Amino acid sequence: MMGIPELFFYFFTIMVIGIGLFVAFSKNLLRSAFALFFVLFGIAGFYVLLGGDFLAVVQIMVYAGGVNVLLIFGTMLTSDISSPKTSNLSFQGALTFIAGLTFLILLVVIINTTHWPMHVPGEMAPTTKDIGRLLLKEYVLPFEVISFLLLAAIISSLVLVKKGD
Amino acid sequence: MGLTGFLTVSAVLFTLGLVIFISRKNTIAILMGVELMLNAAALNFVAFARFTPSQASQLDGQIFAVFIILLAAAEAVVALAIALSVYKNLHQIGADKLASLKG
Repeated sequence: MMGIPELFFYFFTIMVIGIGLFVAFSKNLLRSAFALFFVLFGIAGFYVLLGGDFLAVVQIMVYAGGVNVLLIFGTMLTSDISSPKTSNLSFQGALTFIAGLTFLILLVVIINTTHWPMHVPGEMAPTTKDIGRLLLKEYVLPFEVISFLLLAAIISSLVLVKKGD
Repeated sequence: MGLTGFLTVSAVLFTLGLVIFISRKNTIAILMGVELMLNAAALNFVAFARFTPSQASQLDGQIFAVFIILLAAAEAVVALAIALSVYKNLHQIGADKLASLKG
């Protein structure tokens, strides 16, 4: 008898891997971009199963709401999306597929033969308060560095797409 | 759905991202591959934080995942700005066509 979390785990697994395959092998770039939305959503579901409620919401807001919209926007602005002949070509597909499959088999064998130091997972608790405390205490230097990096990304993207010279 | 289950899903996602990254011609599709790989890495961090937490704090892996998401957002913004600017100048963004630097 499977519990509800197992059921959701298999549901999200099928969703993420199936739609991920569609992202990887679709001929239309715009369809790939829209399908990526559901992959990112499924990963947010995995975060919920792993007890990361704050992280799941951040994933949906930043990835599904921000990055993926930017990707769709960039797709529409740059490529000739209506014709599949030029939209989302790939080259050396068979070789890439074989290489990817070999790499995947290697990874799965390593994952299944390694002895992981498992602990029994504790109770799930809300994490937002603890993440905020950690960010402003133990991890305050990476926090400041990454806020500076975000500022640099804003300015550099504005400079890159500036009109004129 | 133990640790190995999550790690296997993450390995599949990473491989899909890698396949996209090395086989696509469109620069934006390559960016999608990078996003998938970063997501797989973040999923690994969260899974390890749940099943093998560090002594100091249960949430170290989740903090890492937050940083990965932020870095991916910044990277996507800059890469898209570069793609738009390349498209404005050269009218194409195929990774195999952008060979101006080749002597």
